[in-house]
Amino acid sequence: MNIFFRELKANRKSLVIWSVCMALGVLSGMSKYTAYSGDNANNGVLNELPRAFRALLGMGDFDVTKMSGFFAFLFLYLELAAAAHAVLLGSGILAKEERGKTAEFLAVKPVSRSAIITSKLCAALVNLLVLDAVILISSIAMVAAYNKGPEINGEIVLFVLSLFLVQLIFVSMGTLFAAALKKPKLTGPAAAGVMVGSFVVSEITNLTDRLDALKVLSPFQYFSYSGIVRGDGLDPLAVSLSLALAAFLLWLTYFCYRRRDLNV
Amino acid sequence: MSVIELKNLTKQYGKSRGIRNVNLNVEEGEIFGFIGPNGAGKSTTIRTLLGLIRPTGGSAAVFGKSCIEHPEVRKEVGYLPSEVFYYDGMRVTDLLKYSASFYKKDCTKRIAELAERMDLDLNKKIADLSFGNRKKVGIVQGLLHEPKLIILDEPTSGLDPLMQQKFFELIAEENRKGATVFFSSHILSEVQKMCGRVAFIKEGKIIKLEKMSDLQANSYKRISLEAESAVPEEVFRIDGVSDLHTKGNTVSFMFRGNLNTVLRKIASVSLRNISITEPDLEEIFLHYYTKEG
Repeated sequence: MNIFFRELKANRKSLVIWSVCMALGVLSGMSKYTAYSGDNANNGVLNELPRAFRALLGMGDFDVTKMSGFFAFLFLYLELAAAAHAVLLGSGILAKEERGKTAEFLAVKPVSRSAIITSKLCAALVNLLVLDAVILISSIAMVAAYNKGPEINGEIVLFVLSLFLVQLIFVSMGTLFAAALKKPKLTGPAAAGVMVGSFVVSEITNLTDRLDALKVLSPFQYFSYSGIVRGDGLDPLAVSLSLALAAFLLWLTYFCYRRRDLNV
Repeated sequence: MSVIELKNLTKQYGKSRGIRNVNLNVEEGEIFGFIGPNGAGKSTTIRTLLGLIRPTGGSAAVFGKSCIEHPEVRKEVGYLPSEVFYYDGMRVTDLLKYSASFYKKDCTKRIAELAERMDLDLNKKIADLSFGNRKKVGIVQGLLHEPKLIILDEPTSGLDPLMQQKFFELIAEENRKGATVFFSSHILSEVQKMCGRVAFIKEGKIIKLEKMSDLQANSYKRISLEAESAVPEEVFRIDGVSDLHTKGNTVSFMFRGNLNTVLRKIASVSLRNISITEPDLEEIFLHYYTKEG
């Protein structure tokens, strides 16, 4: 438990900053909704843009003049930011002991390496939940402030739920990088690089239907936002596959970290 | 049961670094010296023993158990690393409390007592501490749970002589209370003062393991003599003589073995002057490193 509380405290400042930025992101994103919707003349133009161009902007098939479509469009960027937070949190929380050379302090305490990982993961999980709560609450509040059509609170909850699963994948990817890479300074950049790479893959698969097989490489593609907007809910297969992938990455984290030499 | 038991402990990384077939037993209640130059494998041995790195061969046990399979045995171990690094944002007192929280006993009094003896300001931030003060945090951190085994890796670097003195008193006190001490250093005089037995390590191999008393008092003599006339070198080419230098009428060498044989040889020379002294450990040490390595 002591490691858990220590990590909560150590990550407190960064969590506050991320939370504020996320809330501001929702605020500034939603404040643009009036420009897309309502009486302005450009709504027709937006819907007639070429599909590839809309995909590049992240609009995809969404009708951004409606609140549900606009929120899905906005949420993609929130998701990207939250994924960056998760992957850096995961890699940092484990790699920092070696980066700061405190491994020689922590790893000679009477705790197993597995117990160290478990405590740190629990602390990371709390961080994710807090950030998600911030996203959820600020989204519901800001959507309510701008929404003139039907309320979409149910959809927002589903969006955040799907985000949480994606975060789980990225946080465990981050810890795996920290556990598997020998150079602790490389883990952050490497994990962030893979995260950005998977986002790029996601964008490419949005551009064309022919590369749909690549979707499996990008957690950003596991949950269909247009499905949520249509009212299809979360695909149970996607939910279980995401959980399985996160569990596998975590298992690898434990496996690698338990048997490797710590950099001291 | 030995407190520390290393059996053919081997750790190889890269081509040359690491340790090879290290065998050691440290018994309960002793202060054991571990001597070698920088890069000889002292820290590698300790880190393998503590489970920070995994051996590529052999085994290492503390209180009969491997630290990797039984991490809980480390609750009786206090470790002072050669370079002390802590979480920069924390205050000293928070760090020490965090450290104490791993041992399931109340260490508050002990922390205050150790900090006072080591003259350590508990309210400072770790990031603001000098190297020496950081080392003091390390000392308090390593001793606050009254471990039965204290492992010290180059403990005095960064401490001023006064603090070194206090530190040695502290360690001697713990030892009197029953703690076993494993003391790694490249400074011989400090090991000489404290340790009962000493192992020499060079290039990853133990080259000698001896009782301090054997090393110093009984066996080694540094003999210098001045004769009436030039002494042929062959006279002192006998078993037990090493580091032999002859220059005109003077001869000097180290001797280990039966004193009578060497005294008979000396008697065969017509002497003008002679001195027979105890070599300090430094001399014995250099001797091993140059001759047997």
